[in-house]
Amino acid sequence: MKTFNIQTYKNLIKEVGGLTVENSFLFLGKVQETFGCVPREVVRDVAMKTGFSEARIYGALTSYRDFKVGRE
Amino acid sequence: MKETKLLTRWVGKYEPLDLKGYEAHGGLAALKRALAMGPESIIEEIKRAGLVGRGGAGFPTGPKWAMVAGEKQGQKYLICNAEEGEIGTFKDKVLLDGDPWMVLEGILIAACAVGAEKTYIYINGEYDQTVELWESLVVEARKAGLLGDNILGSKISLDLQVVKSKGLYITGEEFALISSLEMRRAASRLKPPYPTEKGLFGRPTVVNNVETLANVPVILAEGVEAYRKLGVADEPGTRLFSLSGDVKKSGVYELEIGSGTLAEFINEFGRGTASGRPIKTVQPGGGTSRFLARDSLKCKLTAKDIRQAGSGIGTAGVIVYEEGKRAVDIVKELMEFYGFESCGRCAPCRIGVVRMKEIIDKVFQGEGTNEDLEQLRQIGKACVAVSTCGMGQAFPLPILSALELFPQDFEAAIEKVSE
Repeated sequence: MKTFNIQTYKNLIKEVGGLTVENSFLFLGKVQETFGCVPREVVRDVAMKTGFSEARIYGALTSYRDFKVGRE
Repeated sequence: MKETKLLTRWVGKYEPLDLKGYEAHGGLAALKRALAMGPESIIEEIKRAGLVGRGGAGFPTGPKWAMVAGEKQGQKYLICNAEEGEIGTFKDKVLLDGDPWMVLEGILIAACAVGAEKTYIYINGEYDQTVELWESLVVEARKAGLLGDNILGSKISLDLQVVKSKGLYITGEEFALISSLEMRRAASRLKPPYPTEKGLFGRPTVVNNVETLANVPVILAEGVEAYRKLGVADEPGTRLFSLSGDVKKSGVYELEIGSGTLAEFINEFGRGTASGRPIKTVQPGGGTSRFLARDSLKCKLTAKDIRQAGSGIGTAGVIVYEEGKRAVDIVKELMEFYGFESCGRCAPCRIGVVRMKEIIDKVFQGEGTNEDLEQLRQIGKACVAVSTCGMGQAFPLPILSALELFPQDFEAAIEKVSE
């Protein structure tokens, strides 16, 4: 498990071929597996890039057992 | 009674990532034929073959595809449901690990038939290695020109995304699965509209089980007539049965539909019960199917016969319980799982599952009363009657049938207190 750093995060985006509405769930799964949680700045970034509201992403993630959302 | 290897004929015969090995066994012939045939004829063949879904609900595959293929404009999606969270079911893993190219071929043919350009495979989160395998498989497939633009020189473009499920049983339900991909809480929805009308991102979506899709290349390669020779008239083909519970040899076995009885299957493939005691009861269709008493095990292995015997074939996960286990213990064990899996979308399931678990725990601890059992029956019946999705309609079934079949077990558990 790695600590969050922006380069690894950018590489992850490249790996899934760009962040879109259609692969956001899959992408956040990868973020969770790489960093052990989904940091709040990632939630914000995904919200910005996909157009989902931050609340929707936060609400979805916290309902799944295998996701952890990082503290502010 | 013996195994009929049709879907599992190449399982383990080649290295999972070795496309050449798959082709050497005769793979990809079906896909090439399908690309030459065109969508309408593929759907026609599948309809003629009489393929029904193997995921539990048993919806005919051909008509489902026709509904989505009928929508001519805009984006369409195809999802291969490999969530397989049902208790006592592990058949899809055999196909995903043992013969992944055949499953991929099935996905590609289905996508061509319905005209879906984006496809997903949604794999159970506990199958870590399977997910890794499939991620490498997609890379290999892109290299070989099976995925991407203009697959195998045709005009069709396709993309497959491997999604790992995130640890909720309910994501096996098609709308919950769709919700999770849409970045919502995994929850069921009211039907209609069905996913074939308004599915992922409001577009027509086909959701098919792994085993269903694995049947597709087999049908196209072997021909409809050869396929229909197997099985019975209403249910042609073979089925993968997962056998587990108190048997000597558990495992996944592929049987011709209707080739033998449930009792023969358990005795011949499972080699009898673990301790040699007689069978007490069997769940023929995974953890949410009704129990069958020992005398009803003479039914044939078809969906119709099992339904007539008083249960359902569901996901064909046969769980055997031997004599000496109390029904209360079995039911408690099941509720330990289902008790935490309601999505909360509709009240009967959300509240019912918790109340039923409470009552069963109470009875298990020997503090139950007759009123408790009556309440259990009432909540269960209400849940089955008014829940939105398959989970709420199905999880009370084993409890209700246990109350019917083994009232003495429950009465014995109650009597302890009154003494």
